[in-house]
Amino acid sequence: MTFLDLVRKNLFRKKLRTILTVVAIVIAFAIFGVLATFQNALNAGVDTAGADRLMVTNKINFTLQMPVAYVQRTRSVEGVKLVSHADWFGGYFRDPRIFFAAIAVDPPTYLDIYPEYQLPPKHRQAFLSNRTALVAGKAVADQFGWKVGDRIPLKSNIFQQMDGSDSWDFTLAGIIKGESARIDTNFVLFHYDYFKGTRSFGGDTIGWMIIQTRSAKDNARVMKEVDSLFANSPFETETQTEQAFAKAFIEQAGDLGFIITAVVGSAFATILLIAGNTMMLTVRERTNEIAVMKTLGFASERIFALVIGESLLLAVIGGALGVFIAWLSSFALQNATGGTFGPMTFTPGIAIWSVVLMGLLGLLTGWLPAVRAMRINVVAALGGK
Amino acid sequence: MTDALIVIKDAGKRYMRGKQSVQIFDHLDMTIPRQDFVAIMGPSGSGKTTLLNLLGGIDRPSGGVIEFDGKRMDDLNESKLAAFRAGNVGFIFQFYNLMPMLTATQNVELPLLLTKLGPKARRERVNTALEIVGLSDRARHKPSELSGGQQQRVAIARAIVSDPKLLLCDEPTGDLDRETAGEILSMLQTLNRDFGKTIVMVTHDPEAARYAKRVLHLDKGHFSEKDLRQ
Amino acid sequence: MGRTLNQIAAVTMMNLRSIPGRLWISLSTVVAVALVTSVLLAFLAMANGFQSTVQGTGAADVAVMLRKGSGSELNSTISREQALLLEDAPGIARGADGKALVSPELYVVVDGIKKSSRTKANLPLRGLSARADQVRRGVKVSAGRMFRSGTNELVVGRAVSRQFEGFELGRTIKLASQKWTVVGEFEAGGSVFESEIWADVALLQGLYQRGSTVQTVRARLRDPTSLAELKKFSESDPRLKLDVQAENAYYAEQGKGMSDIILYLGWPLAIAMSLGALAGALNTMYASVDARMREIATLRAIGFGGAPAFVGTMAESLLLSVIGGVVGAIATFLLFDGISAATLGSNFTQVVFSLKLTPALVLQGVILSLVIGFAGGVFPAWRAARAPLLAAFKER
Repeated sequence: MTFLDLVRKNLFRKKLRTILTVVAIVIAFAIFGVLATFQNALNAGVDTAGADRLMVTNKINFTLQMPVAYVQRTRSVEGVKLVSHADWFGGYFRDPRIFFAAIAVDPPTYLDIYPEYQLPPKHRQAFLSNRTALVAGKAVADQFGWKVGDRIPLKSNIFQQMDGSDSWDFTLAGIIKGESARIDTNFVLFHYDYFKGTRSFGGDTIGWMIIQTRSAKDNARVMKEVDSLFANSPFETETQTEQAFAKAFIEQAGDLGFIITAVVGSAFATILLIAGNTMMLTVRERTNEIAVMKTLGFASERIFALVIGESLLLAVIGGALGVFIAWLSSFALQNATGGTFGPMTFTPGIAIWSVVLMGLLGLLTGWLPAVRAMRINVVAALGGK
Repeated sequence: MTDALIVIKDAGKRYMRGKQSVQIFDHLDMTIPRQDFVAIMGPSGSGKTTLLNLLGGIDRPSGGVIEFDGKRMDDLNESKLAAFRAGNVGFIFQFYNLMPMLTATQNVELPLLLTKLGPKARRERVNTALEIVGLSDRARHKPSELSGGQQQRVAIARAIVSDPKLLLCDEPTGDLDRETAGEILSMLQTLNRDFGKTIVMVTHDPEAARYAKRVLHLDKGHFSEKDLRQ
Repeated sequence: MGRTLNQIAAVTMMNLRSIPGRLWISLSTVVAVALVTSVLLAFLAMANGFQSTVQGTGAADVAVMLRKGSGSELNSTISREQALLLEDAPGIARGADGKALVSPELYVVVDGIKKSSRTKANLPLRGLSARADQVRRGVKVSAGRMFRSGTNELVVGRAVSRQFEGFELGRTIKLASQKWTVVGEFEAGGSVFESEIWADVALLQGLYQRGSTVQTVRARLRDPTSLAELKKFSESDPRLKLDVQAENAYYAEQGKGMSDIILYLGWPLAIAMSLGALAGALNTMYASVDARMREIATLRAIGFGGAPAFVGTMAESLLLSVIGGVVGAIATFLLFDGISAATLGSNFTQVVFSLKLTPALVLQGVILSLVIGFAGGVFPAWRAARAPLLAAFKER
């Protein structure tokens, strides 16, 4: 028998009570894991933003257009390495309620400026050479079960074709995988030229430009220069870092982060109380036994360690199970939301945080009971005859 | 090396009950020679259990000196006293005080967890102790599966497993029937005679006291000696 | 019967009186249930507030017309020809001058700065014509006056002036690279419109280079039933490819998405947390029964039946949980009721709403706490009722 055995046996004396407490801990950690995954998905755009990438949008509001001619003029700004452009199609595939981003782009520059989008060279070539080609991010392709070569008709809820039809036909040339699990792949890309030539209004305008600077140090200067280039024109621009742009977007959703933190916080406060009380109760019930251990020669420090060991073991068992459930749920979440909020992945970061929380939980719930156990007066406990 | 295992000189014990100070005993002297088997009897409240607690290092005197094996005990701090107990003293209680969720083997092994012995050495000692008390065949039973007498024997095995010099027994047969009590007391005699353990036993039962080498009566904090044998 | 009731009453009182002896663990159940109730009610209040803001928006007798398939005002576009055709449509009420009560409107998005976080957020800027106030009802200019046609004056909704910077009466503000003067503030019954800024449609058309197109046409119907007539008219004319909806139905649809999300998050979370609180409640009650086992068994040895023990334990569990539920409801009321929140509505714009806690919602919360109390008490109560008599004689 080792110390761990002793701790374990003490913990499972009253099986029902321990199981109930473990259940409460499992639930708290499952809630934490799921909400952290959700939070992570929302922040994915911010966290994976390129440090040397800038977004240029219409100054009035990002939903407005700007002339495609701006692209060439922007290329001439000192410090700019690459410029690409994009236009929002507002598209859907069969069911308008399933959301994904449909973007009309300049394929070669767009793929270059987003190196984290991985596309096999053969598919890249097919995409570039065919005007009606489309590439889909993996999340979208999985959602609809698309395969390379499929004919994909997309409808737009903003635009119509000049000939009156409201659907554009594309051929799937390839599927884009993200470099890491946190890269959002809930989009499709197609040729701006094809789009521009067939839409009934919008003319030679684009939605936004993406700039890659020579280095992140050039960002501030480039931002200022680009905006002053187009100041006092009918289409004034606003340039910001990709990270700032993503952040502003999330902030629109309101204090979601605060709400999530509040909920997780109260869930943890609840189990802290429950688990802490369980520990206190067990210590009180075992006053006699603890006194006997002291007569056997167990020093106070060891008694302290035994009790803390119990609360830590409890926290670890419950925490591990809860984290496991959260990990499983992340897959269900991904299926349910289909990438609307971002990629729902259970990252190693979440796992590490969970371990830290388990340790904190074990220490906090065990501290007072362990001190109490340590201080049990042997004479008082055993002398009551 | 002196002949006495324990020497108590001028010891006193006082404790607070609420706002009142209660004196259990004062100016107590006592010598316990090695391999002694002494029974302490006396009415309730006479301080027998308190005396036992002092002998075992569970409690400290308010005044006076207690020496164990030539070294002073009364001025040791809590953690040194714990270490002292682990190596030198074995306790046997009236209500056995076994851990209900551990088997007999695991109960007996408990004191050895405080030593540096490896698992194999520990197992050997446990088996030896269980053999001595005659419970090898019940090694894997939990206390709830053992009779009172058997539980007390497990408690005795636990008390002797680290080979202490001193065994302190607080009403060891108080909860047993006559026949089982006799077995237990015989076992204590064997431990004293054949294994050289010094035993101090508190009891209110004169029949039990007969098994000891000498009997001391404690009343209101004072001894009177009555030699039953020799 | 009376004797049993007496027994039950006596034992229940003993139970409840002994709670202070188990204060901490009982308190932990109360707090756990309070937290669960609070979280649930906060979500319900959010969904309720959002829903009622959005549903309070729009009248049943105003029709909203968008380009077919556009889904929302922002994506729609309606030409001048189409707008003119609509003026002759059946089902539309006419004003005193005999002209159809039709309001062609532009809907664009501008940036405003939120007072609370000092970050940018989308604001709707709606271009209206002079006849708009006849078509729309329930709109009252509460401060200042309505803007004059052809000028760059604007009026702001009450929620905008409250939540965003720089929209005080008389101030000049730059929007869409144009200077505007705020000449009035309007209320609209707490609806989504209070989160909008209104200006002259002709001016906006010029500013945004829309020519003569608008995005939506609103029309006051003769009565709610004339919607069908209007719809048929639009469908039968190939030049009018429009979606025709009653205004309140349109907004209800728009708001559904967000309030669904709030509810789909809220209930599962509350249920998950309830299971945790239930585990805690069970622990508390089992501990309570254990602590009183001797008493309970003694009473049974004396001759008390099992029913009093059962009822007494249930009473304790229900009492603790209900107290928790009420505390949670009060906490939510004090902390959250009435506070303003803003989040993304459709059109990528902010919808400002307040959390609304109603008695009906509080009832849901209390019911949840009772369920926890019941489930947490029934098994321990059963154990108490069947306590073996020997427990009275067992040495501790």
